[in-house]
Amino acid sequence: MIFTAVLLFVFLLLGAPLFSVIAASAMLGFYHSEIDLSVMAIEFFGLSEMPILVAIPLFTFAGFILSESNSPQRLVRLSNALLGWFPGGLAIISLVSCALFTAFTGASGVTIIALGALLYPALSEAGYDERFNLGLITTSGSLGLLFAPSLPLILYGIVAGVSIDDLFLAGIFPGLLMVVMLGVYSVYKNRQTRVLRRVSSREIIAAIKESAWELPLPVLVLGGIYSGYFAVSEAAAVTALYVIFVEIIVLREISWRDLPRIIRESMVLVGAILMILGVSLASTNYMIDAGVPEKLFGIVNTYIDGQASFLLALLIFLLILGAILDIFSAIILVVPLILPVASQYNVHPVHLGIIFLATMELGYLTPPVGLNLFISSFRFERGIGEIFRATLPFFFLLLVAVLIITYWPQLSLFLLS
Amino acid sequence: MNERQHFWLVRAELWGRWLENVLLSFLVIGLIALASIQIVMRNILSMGYPWTDSVVRLMVLWLALAGGMAASRDQKHIAIDIVTRALPPNGKRIADVIAHLFTALVTGLLAWHSFRFVRDSYVFGDALMTNWPAWVFQLILPFGFAVICYRYFLRALREIVRVRL
Repeated sequence: MIFTAVLLFVFLLLGAPLFSVIAASAMLGFYHSEIDLSVMAIEFFGLSEMPILVAIPLFTFAGFILSESNSPQRLVRLSNALLGWFPGGLAIISLVSCALFTAFTGASGVTIIALGALLYPALSEAGYDERFNLGLITTSGSLGLLFAPSLPLILYGIVAGVSIDDLFLAGIFPGLLMVVMLGVYSVYKNRQTRVLRRVSSREIIAAIKESAWELPLPVLVLGGIYSGYFAVSEAAAVTALYVIFVEIIVLREISWRDLPRIIRESMVLVGAILMILGVSLASTNYMIDAGVPEKLFGIVNTYIDGQASFLLALLIFLLILGAILDIFSAIILVVPLILPVASQYNVHPVHLGIIFLATMELGYLTPPVGLNLFISSFRFERGIGEIFRATLPFFFLLLVAVLIITYWPQLSLFLLS
Repeated sequence: MNERQHFWLVRAELWGRWLENVLLSFLVIGLIALASIQIVMRNILSMGYPWTDSVVRLMVLWLALAGGMAASRDQKHIAIDIVTRALPPNGKRIADVIAHLFTALVTGLLAWHSFRFVRDSYVFGDALMTNWPAWVFQLILPFGFAVICYRYFLRALREIVRVRL
């Protein structure tokens, strides 16, 4: 048993796709329990029994369309018009626009490519410190993770069987906490930088006019979801339809001929996530049948006493996990196992989700697998080490934010009825 | 490999990519259309069509496998590359061969057992949405896994010839 586990781990390290390693472990488990292996197909077919799942391809598609259009430029111009007069304003602009953009594009690293390329030169030009800029942009690439309708929030809701509407509410204040903490630091750090321009009502009006087609989108989606008018899957359909309508038909920034390519690129990501989810339905069921969560709780319980120390252990575990695994795989693989354990320590499943995602957000910044580090290094042609050092102050600030989020459950839960 | 065989392999690759794109586009556009029609029916005409719900969910399953096929062609499956990134070129090739053969074996098994699942469903006459034969919708499982298996097997062969011993 241990031998096969080690062998599978070796295959994983040699670069075998995660889904195949999970499928292999599930098949071995079922084989040892003398269960017919067609159970794999039956479990995988379970993907077609999850009504909310449709939100994942639709939101991902909409996010890819948005990042291919000129909406990043418009978003930057608008936030610049509104906040540019503030000392350290451009840094705030970066934080706010990246957070908003990431919420809609699902933290796949696309924010750094789409927005970072605009913000980074602007920050340098305004006299911000080089190292600060690199750190800021790299960190902002995953900042909006806790805001609706981000993909990891939806995926956590599906895997944990928690109401996605509740998660969307719970993410608001923890997400704001992170943005505000980074914002205060940025303003303090750059209190000397000159103010770019005075507030100009003409520029504000022009920027609003230019973004007139995109501005209703957050209102439509977030308003629709929070008011309960749309189910999450419906909001996803509306977003996809609206984005096609605006970017392809009205503004014509993307031609119909580009559509198959964008569909393919977005669905490759969706396929990669859903393949892992499909085979994990089988492996999770096997592990639950074999009583793995109970055994896990037994082990954890002998070493850890009380909620506070459990949460600390959880944080350390998630930090390590985030450093080696991407957020989507981590949610699918780990949540079914720690959810029952956490409930034994009276951790609310929605609060657990916020802790999980907030900590995994730090995983984007930690080597060896921190996605943002690689994307920034690639995009701005700097070494990973340099980027990593530049993100350190931001990393520690976010770590403090994660600690607050973890030990102050009401910050996440008080909006829930 | 002679030139003629190579020609057909290249052809098959081009056609395969085109077919994937058509399938993916059809599924995504179809999903958006169906899901939007549902909203209109549910919220404005306040009626529900239970079959659209089932079709939408089945299309997501199809998307999973079609996307999975595309991801294996584009080498975009989620994998851990901390170790392989640090390997010298020849070591990387050997690691690739082993990992690809492993993946081909696993997806081959998945394809075979999915095929058995679909065959049983055909024999027993399982139905979805009251009277549609279920096996038609389930067929994507063995097909998708078989294509992924083929893809990784081919890639393993391609790497084997490049390994220097």
